[in-house]
Amino acid sequence: MNRILAIAENTFRETVRDKILYNLILFALVMIGSSLALGQLTLGNEDKVILDLGLGAISVFGLLIAIFIGIGLVYKELEKRTVYALLAKPVRRHELILGKYLGLLSTLGVNLAVMTAGLALALAYTGRAPAGAYGRLLPAVGLIFLSLALATALALLFSTFSTPALAALFTFFLWVIGHFNADLRRFGELSGSPAVEALGRALYYVIPNFGNFNLIDGRAVLQTAGYARPVEWWAVGGAGAYAVVYIALLLALSILIFARRDFK
Amino acid sequence: MKGGGGETSKVVLGCVGAALAAALLVGPVQDFIDARSPAGEEPDLLFFNSPGLVQKMALGFEPLLADLYWMRTIQYYGRRDDEGRRRESFGNLYTLLDITTTLDPGLQDAYRAGSCFLSEPPPVGAGRPDLALELLKKGARAHPREWRLVYERGFVHYLYLKDYAAAGDTWLEAGRVPGAPEWLAGLAAMALSKGGAEEVAVALWRRQYEEATSDAVRDNARNHLHSLQVKRDLAELRDRIERHRAATGSFPPSLRTPRDPMGTPYAYDPRSGRVELDPGSAVRFLDLP
Amino acid sequence: MAVIEIENLTKDFAVGFWRKRPVRALDALSLEVRAGEIFGFLGPNGAGKSTTLKLLMHLLHPTSGSARILGRPAGDTAMHERIGYLPENPYFYDYLTPRELLTFMGRLFGLAGPPLARRVRELVGEVGLAASADVQLRKFSKGMVQRLGIAQALVNEPEVVFLDEPMSGLDPLGRMEVRRIVTGLRERGVTVFLSSHILPDVEAMCDRVAILDRGRLQEAGTLEDILRARIAGHEIILSGWTEATPDLLRPWCSEVRAMGERLHLRADDRENLEAVLGFVFAHGLDLVSVNPIRPSLEEYFQTLVTGK
Repeated sequence: MNRILAIAENTFRETVRDKILYNLILFALVMIGSSLALGQLTLGNEDKVILDLGLGAISVFGLLIAIFIGIGLVYKELEKRTVYALLAKPVRRHELILGKYLGLLSTLGVNLAVMTAGLALALAYTGRAPAGAYGRLLPAVGLIFLSLALATALALLFSTFSTPALAALFTFFLWVIGHFNADLRRFGELSGSPAVEALGRALYYVIPNFGNFNLIDGRAVLQTAGYARPVEWWAVGGAGAYAVVYIALLLALSILIFARRDFK
Repeated sequence: MKGGGGETSKVVLGCVGAALAAALLVGPVQDFIDARSPAGEEPDLLFFNSPGLVQKMALGFEPLLADLYWMRTIQYYGRRDDEGRRRESFGNLYTLLDITTTLDPGLQDAYRAGSCFLSEPPPVGAGRPDLALELLKKGARAHPREWRLVYERGFVHYLYLKDYAAAGDTWLEAGRVPGAPEWLAGLAAMALSKGGAEEVAVALWRRQYEEATSDAVRDNARNHLHSLQVKRDLAELRDRIERHRAATGSFPPSLRTPRDPMGTPYAYDPRSGRVELDPGSAVRFLDLP
Repeated sequence: MAVIEIENLTKDFAVGFWRKRPVRALDALSLEVRAGEIFGFLGPNGAGKSTTLKLLMHLLHPTSGSARILGRPAGDTAMHERIGYLPENPYFYDYLTPRELLTFMGRLFGLAGPPLARRVRELVGEVGLAASADVQLRKFSKGMVQRLGIAQALVNEPEVVFLDEPMSGLDPLGRMEVRRIVTGLRERGVTVFLSSHILPDVEAMCDRVAILDRGRLQEAGTLEDILRARIAGHEIILSGWTEATPDLLRPWCSEVRAMGERLHLRADDRENLEAVLGFVFAHGLDLVSVNPIRPSLEEYFQTLVTGK
């Protein structure tokens, strides 16, 4: 456990000093900031615009951070042989995977915290959001964090056996179709063919369902009057359970592949 | 290597176990989430509701995205709840169609079937013929040489808005599009003379049935034709029963009823004198004014 | 006592994209390295040196055969507490400093607190990086990274150290430094297994060597023994010679060359050498030097490649 923590801490230290990270965070903050300007173009619901744009920016830039830094780091470690020096130490391969993953998660967590603070500031600037909105911002960002943790585990799995470009592509591709899971199943059901329906259903369960994390949007954070859907805590819990189970699956597969791997 | 085998294989075994357990759990967890999700509109359906924004974000994949939006539109329209009932309102229908046709202005089915979905009164459609006209006008701007889109507009004026003059004018306009068929002029004349609303309706739905390029539109036209037929049949039967009662003071003990358009005899109850479409009939009856 | 025991170690790699076929990188290698010695592992590029080291580090899974270090199998994690490894052309995290990297590596061995800080300070001093202990590695030259690589291999004060091409990328001064470190290790009783293709370095440091070519062990023993068998004659340099001397010596020499005041001769075998030296002493010429002509390692490798 000590070794896993040492690896995690080291990974965190390495990633938070990477320039790409600052560029990405800067971009995200600029985007959140520009939502202030965009918010003024609408009538009466600028805080919703700010939230929708801000949460969107956090999600997309978080994904970019997860993909580029996560995959880049693992790849560098494999390609440039740091991993050789590490594995010659009394480090077991699964400790390396778990440590890397934890380190990446902490980097992601810090990034999300910075971006969330930016968003809260933008929201405070308008002064219109109800006080409770700031509290509800946390579960909204928490869900984004869960979806990014899942994406990071995917990226980690892919980078144990493929090139970084392919790993990034696979991860991004799954992230996109992972939002269309429900549609896949519905297409299958509408097709009327039992085979297509079974296929749609199978894909629905196999492809990571990123739609599970789309629970709290700007309106839900604000709890605008007339919006019937409150933040449903069972759904947040369900999404959490889903993330934990799916991530466990991905990490177990990563370790299995990594343990068998030859480092040429 | 044999070395450290005990240790390594323990980890491997643990991972295989964890992977299996997790794989088995994913399904139930997903089902737990789905079981409690509100069956209503999925919140992400209209994550972006501005056609222009969606178009900018399509980054060159407009046709593909248009197809996806078109499929979502159809699902949205065709979706039923757990009891198999259709949804009550179609508030997002126009926006979905608008996005679809902005992404791919060439998707003619989206204009034609879309205007049909929009015009039909609830529960079949959105009951918004005004929006159907908007959509068809947008289509005509994108396809100035396509008389059908103009013709459909007249159709909406005539059948849903009951504005016969506007319908006639629109059909005249459609007839002026190069390549338009001759019969449009006749249709326009009938509409402008305001005569025989029902005959015009039957003629219109028959045209719609014959010209239809999509199954959804054809089925809808067929249902309308059947419904008109059923209405006429029932009116005639009720007339016969009424005459019999006036003559004999009682309902006819039996009725040699004709069959409905799908081949099922109409249901007649000699005690109450009621005649109705058989509940088991395959006709999808649209009780329209 | 044998510290490293390699028995019939064999490794095949699958190459080719569609139809994979196995290529043997290492073929039934058997070796023993004794406690406290500096063992040189020589061979041209692609001979299988790095493959052997990676098999020893359990970075590769062997096709067959076995390797034991300190009496434990190569995959034994506990044994890894007692060894150190410098990979070939090492790379470490760009954004860390040597102090951070070594501290991290130390933590992997369960070191912590003041003893770890002390050990890190010692190490950066030992490899000559004390002045740049807090500079991020991306600003480092290749030689500095190489030194840091050696430092990280020593963080746990290992009993056995594996160095893969420790001299590569170093300037002459850096090479001297590494030689000093390695001989210092021997004084402390550490066993060193180093791979190299640079003969003078190996010659200066190693007690015994093994020579590998195309995955097969060619020879093992002291470098002296191996190269003595291949002495290609002697070079004799004289001065104070007269005009008649070259012709008189020619029957015993394969080469006679006058270079200013000196006369360079080459005698191919011992008999001719004795004859030349007898002539020199008999005629009172000045003997400047007699040197055995050894093939360079490069030449030796060349004979390996072209066949004996």
